[in-house]
Amino acid sequence: MATIFPSTEWLQILEIKLNTDGRYAEIAKNWEGDMCVVIEPGGALNQQEIYYLDLWHGKCRKTEILKEMPIKKPKFVLTATYGDIARIMKGELDPMQAMMTRKLQVHGSLTYMMRNVPTVLDFVRCCREITTEILS
Amino acid sequence: MQPILKINLTEGEISECQIPHEWEQDYLGGASLAARMLYPILTEELDPFSSESPLLFLTGPLTGTSGPTVGRFVVCGKSPATGLWAESNCGGFWGPELRFCGYDGLWIQGKANKPVYIWITDNNIEIRDGNKVWGMDTYETQTYIKNESGSSGTRVLTIGPAGENGVLFAGFICDNGRAAGRTGLGAVAGAKNLKAIAVRGTKKAPIAQPLSFSPVRSMSNRALKDDNLSRLFHDLGTAGVADYADYLGSMPKKYYSSGKFEGIDMVSGSTMAETILTGTSACHACVIACGRVVRLADGVKRKGPEYETIVSFGPNILNNDLAAITRMGELCDRYGMDTISTGNTLGLAFQLFEKGIITTSDTGSLTLKWGEIGNVEKLLGMIARREGFGNLLAMGSKRFGQHFNAEAEAVQVNGLEVPYHDPRALSGMALVYATSPRGACHNQSDYFIADMGQTDAGLGLEFYPRHAGKEKAHNVARHQDWRTVFNAMVMCIFANIPVETVVDLVNTVCGYDWDTEDLFRSGERAWNLKRAINIRMGLKRDNDRLPQALLEPYQAGGSAGYVPPFSEMLTAYYEVRRWDPITGKPSKEILTNLGLEWIVQDIY
Repeated sequence: MATIFPSTEWLQILEIKLNTDGRYAEIAKNWEGDMCVVIEPGGALNQQEIYYLDLWHGKCRKTEILKEMPIKKPKFVLTATYGDIARIMKGELDPMQAMMTRKLQVHGSLTYMMRNVPTVLDFVRCCREITTEILS
Repeated sequence: MQPILKINLTEGEISECQIPHEWEQDYLGGASLAARMLYPILTEELDPFSSESPLLFLTGPLTGTSGPTVGRFVVCGKSPATGLWAESNCGGFWGPELRFCGYDGLWIQGKANKPVYIWITDNNIEIRDGNKVWGMDTYETQTYIKNESGSSGTRVLTIGPAGENGVLFAGFICDNGRAAGRTGLGAVAGAKNLKAIAVRGTKKAPIAQPLSFSPVRSMSNRALKDDNLSRLFHDLGTAGVADYADYLGSMPKKYYSSGKFEGIDMVSGSTMAETILTGTSACHACVIACGRVVRLADGVKRKGPEYETIVSFGPNILNNDLAAITRMGELCDRYGMDTISTGNTLGLAFQLFEKGIITTSDTGSLTLKWGEIGNVEKLLGMIARREGFGNLLAMGSKRFGQHFNAEAEAVQVNGLEVPYHDPRALSGMALVYATSPRGACHNQSDYFIADMGQTDAGLGLEFYPRHAGKEKAHNVARHQDWRTVFNAMVMCIFANIPVETVVDLVNTVCGYDWDTEDLFRSGERAWNLKRAINIRMGLKRDNDRLPQALLEPYQAGGSAGYVPPFSEMLTAYYEVRRWDPITGKPSKEILTNLGLEWIVQDIY
């Protein structure tokens, strides 16, 4: 089955992937915190989308597509244009490169983020592995 | 440009000189302009400790404005450590204050017959008796001279006991912990009996197009403040990258011989933020504020260590005591010694001690065992005073290794100790260290950050995997040219702003109409000029090398099993640079293309 990014199905399959991937479970076993991925419109995406993920000890407790940012601020907010997110999903843009070249804005505890770079990179691996098609 | 102040300490003569307009346009300022100004003087025969040896302090066109991270100056000359081109830049407030006095630079020559310090204001320049501050550490000196000047706004740049005593990695310190540490120019000042330079001005840094400059600097400062890297450096200091560097294996441990150290979690910027950090400090007009303010058990607030210092006195000697690292860093600042070279040379001593090449009979009964740091603070004082075993360490790792017939074990290039960004993890650093004009250096190009991902398309950089080889040659050369521009401006390399914005800043401050390639051409010109200076001072093709330790793979850690394919990378680099593959000289063609045809006859 094609898993098209971005879509509700894609987010649901990502939740399943994060809860069944042994490598992610091991690397992210100490991760505690939820996040919102804010995808700014551009290209095939004509309006902002906000993906919410509650990540806890190597599992994903909840995912949801939000209409607006939650009142209770998540631990991390990652913001990028659709074009740059799509390039990350395709493997054309390295996530660390995106962070360092103003393409992916990260808001939240950088202390926590730097301590958990392997978790972040493996999360991106999981995203890429479930993505079979990018909306264009 | 404002004039350059010239002071001859032998004669006590004070004069001014004006920079030719075409030099301003060709070299911008800072280290690039210094290379042009010092070119005729820097010869192989020049003794760095002689009266004729110059010390040239220059600011850049943006220094002292409210632009992004432009509170810096650079000091240049001939290095007593390397015998080659020396430059070392420094933040804080001293550079801007010099410009506020109406000068864009200060050129020191000669040698005073007794200790002196220089006092510069808008309308007055004095060479003052320095006997009372000679022997003081850099913090004491700053306090004393500030008090003597009668103004708390006085900025004091000073050497410490290490510079007075000719330690080959002695530097300058201002603003209690901002350092121009590398290449040993503090020892050159000491040889001139020059203890300090105090400045206090009230003028404004000149801006050619103030109405155009204002929105550009506002926009760039806002963008910089919100940049991921800026926030990382603000929140965690430069040691914020320590966790990631450890993950990649780019942080050397046990004097570049181990890829793993269990205590790394206890000394990172993240740990500092969670334990001893009480605040931040910033250079002139900087929105990042990477400086750390920490409090140790004695309750005193003091400067916290940056990344290089943490690795130097931490993983490099297998020490996981962050408080001890902080104290060692402060001691180096107070003595006026570069923490990279100090830690590197100490690391070599630990290694040679482990191998039995040196023993307690060499060290004065001190044992040097990995992770046992009880003797380190004592050794720092012995280095600064050149006492006993400290006198050997004070020569730096190359000469220290030579003394014990173990030069090959010294992790240095051309006499300058390698910083803590390992090319076995981030391969571009292999070329950076080997070809830097001042010996192994991470500020002539911080390509490690490009290897981590900071490859802005606006700079014309491709993103390559961190273990890619010769295909990086163009990237590295381009990045070196870019950072040469930064060292000309003199702008902090932490300013992660788009190249187009930098062009706008230069144009509005200088009144130019440059584009991106004009800026890069300025950088490439200065890079080749410094290369020519070094060739005149004896640099050969074989000097472009890496120490053996960096060509042996780690057994564990994030870069285990890899060594950069250095030889083929260097060949590719020479092709990109259009340097002769046999002699290492810039080709006549590239020199002519860059407007440097006037030096062809000097190096061919």
